[in-house]
Amino acid sequence: MSNSLFYFFAALTLLSAGAVVFLRNAVAAALSFFVSLCCTGVLFVMLDAYLLAFMLILVYAGAVVALFLFIIMLLDMQGGTRKPFTKASMVASAIAGALLLVGVGVFAKHSEFAATAATLPADSSFSTDLKVYGASLFTTYLLPVQVIGFLLLIAMLGVIVLSKRFDGAEDIQ
Amino acid sequence: MNLDYAGLFRALAPETAIVVGALAVLGVDLTLLRGRSLATRMNVAALISALSVLVAFMLNGTCPCGRCWVGASGPVFGGALMFDSLANATRGGILGLVLLTIGVSTGARINRNPAEYLSILLFATVGFLLMAAAQQLLVAFLSLELASLSLYILAGFDKTRPDSAEAGLKYFLFGGMSAAFLLFGFSLLYGLTGSIELNHVADGLRHQGISPLLIVALVMVIVAFGFKAAAAPFHLWAPDAYQGAPTPSAALIASASKLAGIVFFARLLWSGLGFSAGNVSYAFTSVGWLPIVAVLSGVSMFVGNLAALAQTNVRRLLAYSAISHAGILLLGLIAVSRNGTSPIFYYATTYGIATAGAFGVIGVLERQGGCDSISDLAGLYRRSPLLAGCLMVFILSLAGVPPLAGFFGKFYVFAATLKLAGLAGVAGWLTILAILFSAVALYYYMVVLKQALVVAPAKDATPVRVPIAAAVTLVLAAIAIVAFGIWPSVLLGAV
Repeated sequence: MSNSLFYFFAALTLLSAGAVVFLRNAVAAALSFFVSLCCTGVLFVMLDAYLLAFMLILVYAGAVVALFLFIIMLLDMQGGTRKPFTKASMVASAIAGALLLVGVGVFAKHSEFAATAATLPADSSFSTDLKVYGASLFTTYLLPVQVIGFLLLIAMLGVIVLSKRFDGAEDIQ
Repeated sequence: MNLDYAGLFRALAPETAIVVGALAVLGVDLTLLRGRSLATRMNVAALISALSVLVAFMLNGTCPCGRCWVGASGPVFGGALMFDSLANATRGGILGLVLLTIGVSTGARINRNPAEYLSILLFATVGFLLMAAAQQLLVAFLSLELASLSLYILAGFDKTRPDSAEAGLKYFLFGGMSAAFLLFGFSLLYGLTGSIELNHVADGLRHQGISPLLIVALVMVIVAFGFKAAAAPFHLWAPDAYQGAPTPSAALIASASKLAGIVFFARLLWSGLGFSAGNVSYAFTSVGWLPIVAVLSGVSMFVGNLAALAQTNVRRLLAYSAISHAGILLLGLIAVSRNGTSPIFYYATTYGIATAGAFGVIGVLERQGGCDSISDLAGLYRRSPLLAGCLMVFILSLAGVPPLAGFFGKFYVFAATLKLAGLAGVAGWLTILAILFSAVALYYYMVVLKQALVVAPAKDATPVRVPIAAAVTLVLAAIAIVAFGIWPSVLLGAV
């Protein structure tokens, strides 16, 4: 049962992810992205990673996709009139896809997933409890959280500097 | 896990100083300097930035006692960071190169938002400093992103030129892609070993041997490395980014970013993935990441040197020269197992000084009439003897002419690779290739020097006025190149 559920949602994830790339309508693409994220969330639930699933839906599906849709509608983007694929890009992507397929095939033929997964030690510090998660964010992972804070500051600075129009820009002499 | 917050704070004192400096630059510009001229704002911002870098330089270092104002040596904060001699030396080198870049930026053309420019530069520095010590995959990835994101913004900073936007966008797209590869590789490593600590990853891999999943992880990590080091065939962003980015940004990408990147990946590959290195001493017999790095090294030297021959734009020439130097750095990385990291540290540092200095000279010229093609350098010895002299030192060092530092950098790297297995193996062949290509490189460097030192200036050429801060920086950089060439032990002994 669980296996067939996994295959169903994995296929749905991939299909909707493909639709994000192939759909011409930007709103439809954003909505397929939403479907893809929700299916990924279901996959996480099946792995007992409830917190991760919850975060994914809340942050990505809730906030990020909503922002995408907002901006798409604000700018009224309907996709260009230009043909999305030229002959050269189609040939190149076909070759790249074939190479990838060969790589995946060779990999799948020789892979030993079962062996490596079984040898993994159970991580005791890992929990789906929100309290444990929050505590580890501010103890074990204090430094990464701080670094992410500065990362966001830089992103904000960069957006302001690169997009705002400043008057009186002149050369320093 | 041993969480020593005070120890973490002491160890990260340089980062703290830099961050405080960055915020001070922004704050002072916003409050005290409203309505002042751009030149004043630039000079004040540069002064504060330089001071914070100097303070960070003094706070950098470790002390075994663990009680004084500098941090303790060894692993910090449960092994998230590693403060060994390599980390300390690299952090010192990065701070020196950033100081050089700040000096370069006082002479170059930055026509808006000087405070934001320098504060983003300082945030990039924080990323570099953390990269030099990161020993946990999460901290490693985030510090790399902190540095990269800042560099994307710095590359696209000049909105008056479409070139700069192109540079920023290309750098961003390639960088984002390579970050995705790196993260994918890291998550596979975590899946294989169940840990994000480099030493636990190493332990986990020692018992496993090579599995297909591990090969995929290795390839992903190496792809990201190739991008960061601008090694062929992942070099396509480099010429456009170097050509289009504002000069100080290009100098930073070529110098401090390179040094931080090579040390970051040396630590990651050798102390984390060392057990799956493979072997290139004799031939491509065993599987691992060393053979891939060897191929990247050879291809980079080949592509970089041959493409540089055809360039007419100075910045593109420096970009292709950077690709060829990346090949030699990768060659040095191969020899780390036998000779330690001091050759690549010496090489990356001295290369960074020389190339940032060369960009500094170009930056000063660009502000006064432009310096696009090599022929724009004509008659520099008349227009500004100081700049011509500095450029000569930098270019000769890049070419590897004794007694300058560039020669000893090449010498130590080649000596280290030859110690692996003499001329017999892949490392030996690559060394011979590198020596042959050094002769090729001498040609295109000499073309630049011929324009600057021999060809007469154009009729309408005017003398170049060099801003005093930029002049001091460039002269100090040139002196450093000569001094590190004469006393290489100053840098070599630090690691």
